[in-house]
Amino acid sequence: MIRVRFHGRGGQGIKTASRILGTAAFLEGYYVQDAPLYGAERRGAPITAFDRISKEPVLERGIITNPDIIAIGDETLLNDAAANVFQGIRKGGIFFVNTHYEASHILERYCLPECKVIVHDVTDITINTVGKASVSATLAACICRITGTAGKEALINAIKKELKSIELKDETIDKNIEAAILCYDKMSEVPIETYRFNPVSGPKIIAVKHYLPPKGVAVIYAKGNTKKRKTGNWRLFKPCINYERCVRCGICFVSCPDGCISLDTDNYPVIEYANCKGCLICYEECSAKAIETKREVRTW
Amino acid sequence: MDRAKIYKNVKDINEEEFVLPGTPLCAGCGGLLALRLAYKVLGQKVVILNAAGCFTLLSTYPYTPFRSSWLYTAMACGPAGAQGIRDALDILIEKGSIPKEENLKVVVLTGDGSAYDIGLQSTSGAIHRNLDFYYICYDNEAFGNTGFQMASSSPYGSRTGTTQPSDAYPMATEQQKKDLFEIWRAHKPPYMATVSPAHPVDLSAKFKKASEYKGPKLFITLAPCPTGWGYGASRSNRIAKLAVECGIWPLKEAIEGKLKHTYIPKFKPVEEYLSLQGRYDHLFKPVRNDFTIKKIQKGIDRYWAPFLKLTSCKR
Amino acid sequence: MVREMLTGNASAAWGARLADVDYVPSFPITPQTEIIENISSWIRDREMNAKFVTMDSEHSMITAAGTAAATGARVFTATSSQGLLYGMEMLYTISGWRVPLVLVNVARAISSPITLEPDHNDILAARDSGWIQIHVENCQEALDAVLMGYKISEDERVFLPVIVNLDGFYLSFTREPVEIPDQKDVKKFLPPFNRENGYFRASKPVSRGAALLGGTGYSFFKYQMHLSACNAISVYKGVAKEFKAIFGREYDTVERYEMDDAEYVIVMSNSFATKGKAAVHIMREKGHKVGLLKLRLIRPFPADDIINELLNRKGVAIIDQNIAPGSGGILYNEVCGCLYHSKERPNILLSVIGGLGGKDISQAEFEHIIDTIKKYHNKKKVPIKPILLFTEEDMKVTNNIIDIAGI
Ligand code: SF4
Ligand code: SF4
Ligand code: SF4
Repeated sequence: MIRVRFHGRGGQGIKTASRILGTAAFLEGYYVQDAPLYGAERRGAPITAFDRISKEPVLERGIITNPDIIAIGDETLLNDAAANVFQGIRKGGIFFVNTHYEASHILERYCLPECKVIVHDVTDITINTVGKASVSATLAACICRITGTAGKEALINAIKKELKSIELKDETIDKNIEAAILCYDKMSEVPIETYRFNPVSGPKIIAVKHYLPPKGVAVIYAKGNTKKRKTGNWRLFKPCINYERCVRCGICFVSCPDGCISLDTDNYPVIEYANCKGCLICYEECSAKAIETKREVRTW
Repeated sequence: MDRAKIYKNVKDINEEEFVLPGTPLCAGCGGLLALRLAYKVLGQKVVILNAAGCFTLLSTYPYTPFRSSWLYTAMACGPAGAQGIRDALDILIEKGSIPKEENLKVVVLTGDGSAYDIGLQSTSGAIHRNLDFYYICYDNEAFGNTGFQMASSSPYGSRTGTTQPSDAYPMATEQQKKDLFEIWRAHKPPYMATVSPAHPVDLSAKFKKASEYKGPKLFITLAPCPTGWGYGASRSNRIAKLAVECGIWPLKEAIEGKLKHTYIPKFKPVEEYLSLQGRYDHLFKPVRNDFTIKKIQKGIDRYWAPFLKLTSCKR
Repeated sequence: MVREMLTGNASAAWGARLADVDYVPSFPITPQTEIIENISSWIRDREMNAKFVTMDSEHSMITAAGTAAATGARVFTATSSQGLLYGMEMLYTISGWRVPLVLVNVARAISSPITLEPDHNDILAARDSGWIQIHVENCQEALDAVLMGYKISEDERVFLPVIVNLDGFYLSFTREPVEIPDQKDVKKFLPPFNRENGYFRASKPVSRGAALLGGTGYSFFKYQMHLSACNAISVYKGVAKEFKAIFGREYDTVERYEMDDAEYVIVMSNSFATKGKAAVHIMREKGHKVGLLKLRLIRPFPADDIINELLNRKGVAIIDQNIAPGSGGILYNEVCGCLYHSKERPNILLSVIGGLGGKDISQAEFEHIIDTIKKYHNKKKVPIKPILLFTEEDMKVTNNIIDIAGI
């Protein structure tokens, strides 16, 4: 059995990617399970999706903590502790990242175990071909090819089926197929050593004690601590203020849903990047055109 | 807390933040912006009663974006919860059990699914009991937290997860949006208003005005929802402004039931508003559904006709 | 201290009054109404310093009760039957908030068919809601249980809300002499609620009821509720001791009637236990060694006390005044469960269902129960299916009404 775990951000097409892979493998005659896991977060936040593909009936359920392939749909997740993308990474496993960086860079930067890091700038191909950054078909195509679970025909049929079910228009679907085939052809099949259960030491079940309040009762005493969550990781584009053009009208300050823009003592707006989600309302609302956007590239 | 005596322009808006960044809500959530702006007038001595909805997720243990108190309750009973807190604070202060400096403004925060449907009875009860509280409904015009299914707040002609367009239903949602404002108004509460996050001055002025009244102070804010409405997050405010300018989202208030529009729109064709949102795509593509578009426009015209004749509408 | 003729409803209301509660949200439902009528009159006459409010439903009523408790008020409320079910969602929510309050449920059988008299399907539907449950037999006990309820609920080892269950009609509208304790004694027993920490205050904000995803934290806090509910057994016993010291009346988690040498035991709860005691008395006179074990504390389930009382008995019948269709009697299953590991458990555990919709249980029926136990005494196989107390005469009556209804 091959276990694939996708990581991405809500709205990026990660669930659909897992479904395309699932359907493609299903069309090839495999036993398949696919499932998304939504957290509390809404669009923009990290999400996970899973595929199990097997020649035998699948006797597992739920989240995959021991993936054979980890597929990262958005490189920014590598820096996002909440996304927990490295869980279960191991020697011999495959770590696929959608990025423009080299594989060696990622291996070193994150001190990964001896896993096979494969990189590909899926977003770039998708934006160029489809015009949008939803990587469902392209990411699925890469994984189809790497795992060798589906040929082109099954892949194309799976993309059609899944993208139709989320109501994409035929022309968009065709562009997605085009982009997916480009990705498919760039990848090659990689032999996979699948995970074997090998108990070193079992989990230790403990007897949970009773705790008096405050500990035993789920009350939050902290104030405003969501700041620690660093939703700045959600950003695909970054708003940058050009202070030479800024006329200090304050519109951006009253337009940011997340309260990430404050005014300094001279009434210039200042963006708090740690949590700015990159919605770009500020950019769109600034009539002086003093806010520019930059594609977010992580400074690793 | 809010230093401004009156709100004339953006500069009057309080710089202090009460809803801090890092919430799990969608990027570009219009409802969150409205809440942030409202809080700037309400100040810090607030307890929020959050009925189940998208905003449930604002506080997900162990995190909260608030500097003040918050309680999550079920979908049907936000105002009932507010009643308990208000009454408890009143009686504890009256009995001298707690000092009056500990008093709080009680604010119900609910989505439209709760406000228009499952929570309406509870709201009606609280207004009837003249409960001294604020009520903020962020109206994204469907059950947003469950993935955008039809609610009685969903407008005619819009697509939701349970009202997909089909040959038999080319308009998608066939019912008209329930007029919650008028239902409330029939109760004659001291203050009620509609607001929009893209009209921050109007919004702030209304919250300020509301604070002068004891009793129910009810707000419905348009909550542009990139996720459910199908548009790029950056357009939330642009769409909110269009909703106002096309006249589909009238900005108004009612004091003890007496209605007044606080802004007369430019009456742009509603198409401009509709065509920016995925939830109305089926009205334009693959073939244009003139019947439905016209019907929406007519609904707006019919709504405004009587008011445009009255002098109470000031520009 | 005065003695007066009081209904069960009035007794419960007196409990709230003496507890000096701050807040009483209400919504009328038969047979609970007298409770809220009394309290609202006392408040209007300034005999009680509390706030009374009529809500728009039981769902809203229970919500307001919970949020007021979360604000640090001492809260009393009451409902019955359909009302309890209508507010069920909030029972779970409020126990999860871990706030203290007392709710009186005036038991009434559940629709459909709708009826007026009691059984315990309403209150037992709430058995897993995280509320402590005290079930009472008479009017005095109703008053006393409300007072004890606050003390248990407000103990930080527990911090869970309490339901006091009293039977509709059999207690709610039935008057009997009740001792109304002096306010100053009650003050000694039940000091003002300590509302220092964790309530909604301008100076100390808190967030309560936040979502918790992923299962781990959720499991921890749910299990804490379980442990806290378990703590309520020893807390209950401590509270009962103090109660006895001040008021002289003793209430253990279970009540033992003629149990010392009893070979056969009837287990039951609530007001019908009075009928059971009378039946035991008569059977004793006829020379049968029969006793009765009344369950008072039903959540937490006082398993140890029950095991202690039932070991080495020849046979036990559990009378459930409730029915779980497809399973049988609710309490039967719980009693069986706790006895499983004891080697000296009784040979026979008989499940009996009676008193549904307030249907009487006669002396003859009690004797039939004991006869049935004896019949199985030397048999290997005892049925686990419940016996319904339903006579030939009952069948005649039923046939008659079905005839009239027309088939
Ligand atoms: S909206 Fe533009 S011009 Fe106005 S303060 Fe912001 S950056 Fe400056
Ligand atoms: S992009 Fe602009 S408006 Fe959006 S979160 Fe960032 S600072 Fe706020
Ligand atoms: S679904 Fe819509 S209303 Fe809900 S959080 Fe997202 S943007 Fe806001």
